[in-house]
Amino acid sequence: MAGILIVGDLAAGQPGSEFLELAGAGAALAQATGEPLIGALIARDSAAVGEDCLPPMQRLYLIRDPELRHYGAASFVAAARAALGASSPSIALFAHTLETRDWVPQLAAVLDAGLVMDCVALSLDGDALIATKPVYGGSVWGEFAIRGALRLATLRPGVFTPATPGNKPEVMQLTVEPIAANAVNMIDEVAAAASGGINLKNAKVVVSGGRGIGGAKNWHYIEGAASALNAAVGCSRPVADSGWVPSAYTVGLSGSSVTPDLYIAVGISGAVQHLAGISAARTVVAINSDADAEIFARADLGVVGDYKEVLPAFVKRVEQLKS
Amino acid sequence: MDIIVTVKEVTDPNIPPSYVKLDAQAKRIESPFGVAPVLNGYDENALEEALRLRERHGGRVTVLSLGDESSRKSLKRALAMGADAAILLSDPVWMYADSATVGRALAAAIRKIGKFDLVMCGRQASDTDAGQVLYWIAETLKLPAVSPVAKIAESAPTNLTVHRLIDGGHQRLRVQLPALLGVSSEINEPRHPTMRGTMNAGRALVPGWKLHDLGIAPAVPKVELRRLTVQTRTTKAQLIDGSSDAERGIALADKLHDMGLV
Repeated sequence: MAGILIVGDLAAGQPGSEFLELAGAGAALAQATGEPLIGALIARDSAAVGEDCLPPMQRLYLIRDPELRHYGAASFVAAARAALGASSPSIALFAHTLETRDWVPQLAAVLDAGLVMDCVALSLDGDALIATKPVYGGSVWGEFAIRGALRLATLRPGVFTPATPGNKPEVMQLTVEPIAANAVNMIDEVAAAASGGINLKNAKVVVSGGRGIGGAKNWHYIEGAASALNAAVGCSRPVADSGWVPSAYTVGLSGSSVTPDLYIAVGISGAVQHLAGISAARTVVAINSDADAEIFARADLGVVGDYKEVLPAFVKRVEQLKS
Repeated sequence: MDIIVTVKEVTDPNIPPSYVKLDAQAKRIESPFGVAPVLNGYDENALEEALRLRERHGGRVTVLSLGDESSRKSLKRALAMGADAAILLSDPVWMYADSATVGRALAAAIRKIGKFDLVMCGRQASDTDAGQVLYWIAETLKLPAVSPVAKIAESAPTNLTVHRLIDGGHQRLRVQLPALLGVSSEINEPRHPTMRGTMNAGRALVPGWKLHDLGIAPAVPKVELRRLTVQTRTTKAQLIDGSSDAERGIALADKLHDMGLV
C-alpha cells in the first residue's frame, strides 16, 4: 500500500484550518504520483467529526485516546505511528505549529525518515520530494531533496491553497499503543499571561517600535497606537537591549515569532533578527523616516516620514473610522 | 550536575538581509566581509542556563560544536563565558551534512565524553532554521527531549521542573534526568565573558575530533540541500502618498480600513 498521508488535529469536531491546506498540497502530490490521498486526525476531545468539514480523500483515520487531550511528544508520535502503520504512505504531511515542530522531528528520528519543516513549496523529481523552505529569517530560501521509502514535511500555514470541504470519506478508528512510563510528566498547563492586556504571540494586530523611536520617553507613541488598534505592543531587539521596554516585548529571533493579520513596524530598520519573527505576519506596514530602510523591502505598505507626525494623525483617523 | 551544551557558529543575524552572501556552491550562508560570525543565540541561552545549573549544583559544563575550524573562536567565547571544556567536531565529510548526520555525530561525541546528566541545545539555529539536530541527538542516545524550554523552575540532582512553550501558554513538566532540553530565548539573558574568562579561554586547548575519532560510519543522507537562493523581493512596499506626514498617516488609516484591517 502507498499513499499521501496528511495528519492534523480535530478539536470540537472540526479539523484545524491547516488541514484543508494539507489536503490541497497532498492532492497535488497524489495526482502526480497516482497514489491515494489519506487523512489522519488526532482527536483532542471526544466530539464527533462535524458535517461537511472534510476535504476529498479516500480514507480518514481518526485517532482517539485520553492521552491526546494535552500535548505530549510521546503520545503524538504514537498516534502518528498508528496512522502510518495502517496506511504505509510514501509521503506524510503535517502543518507547521509549535507542537509539530517538537514531535514530528522525533517521529522522523525514530523512523529514520527524511524531514524538512516549514515548507512553502513542494514538488516531485523522480524518487525525491523537493521541499522549499525559508531559512535565515526568510531572507534566503533553501531547496531540499528528501529521499527514502517515507518522506516527511511540515507545511507553513497560510501558504498552500486549501482544498474545498464537503466530502464524506470512509472513517476508520485507530487506537494508540499504551505509552510506557515516561521520564517526562506533565504537572499542569498554564495559559500565557497577557502583557499589556494582549498576548503578543496570538495578537491579531501588533504595533512594534524600533531604535528609530529615539528613546524610552517617546514610547507612549507606540502604546497610544496599540491601544487605539486594540493591538499588542512589540519591539525590535535594540529597544529591549537599551532597556526602553521589557525584553518580553521583543519580536524576532531573540524574542517572539508573531502571526498577526496586521503588523505595524515603527522606526524599525529590518535586520534579519527582526524579520525572522514576522515572517508569518499577513500584512506588514512600515513607518520610517529613512526611505532606504530594509524594512520597506518586507513591508506591504509603507509611509516614509516622521512617526511623531504620522502616528498621531493615523490614530485620530482610526478612532474616527471606528465611531 | 554534568552538562553538555551543543553550540553552532552562525552568521550574525543582526545584519540587514541585503548583506546576506552565499558560498560558490550556493549551499552555505557566509558572513559578509567585516562581520564576525557569532554563537547561535539560542545556544548562548542554553550555555547560560547550564552555567547557572552548575553554580547551583556543581559539576562540569562541556561545550560541543560541529563546524569548520573557524568555530574555534566561538568555542573560545563559550569558554570565556565560563564553560569548563570545549570540543570541536570538524571533518570535511560534514561540510553539507543534514540534520540526522550532524545529530548522530554529536551524539557519538557525547557518548565518547561519557559522563553526563543533561544535554542542552538551542531550540534551533538562526541560519538554517531546521530545528532538528537536537531530536536526532536525543533519539540516538535514547534520551527524552523537551523543547522549547522557556524556564527551569526547579532543579534537583535527578530531576528538573521546566516550562515548555505550547500554543497559547506553557506546560509545567517534571523531567527525570538524564534528558535533553531545547532552550528558547525567553529563559535568560546570557552573560558577557569576563576579562579573566577571556584570558583563560585564550590559553585553553580545544581538541578537534574527526569522523574516525567517533567510531561511526558516514551515513547516506536522507535530506540533501540542492541550493540556497537569496530572496530579493520584486515588490517593494506600496508607499502611501500625501502632502505631509500627518496626511500620510490619515491616508494609511483609510487604506487599512478599506482592507478591513482596522
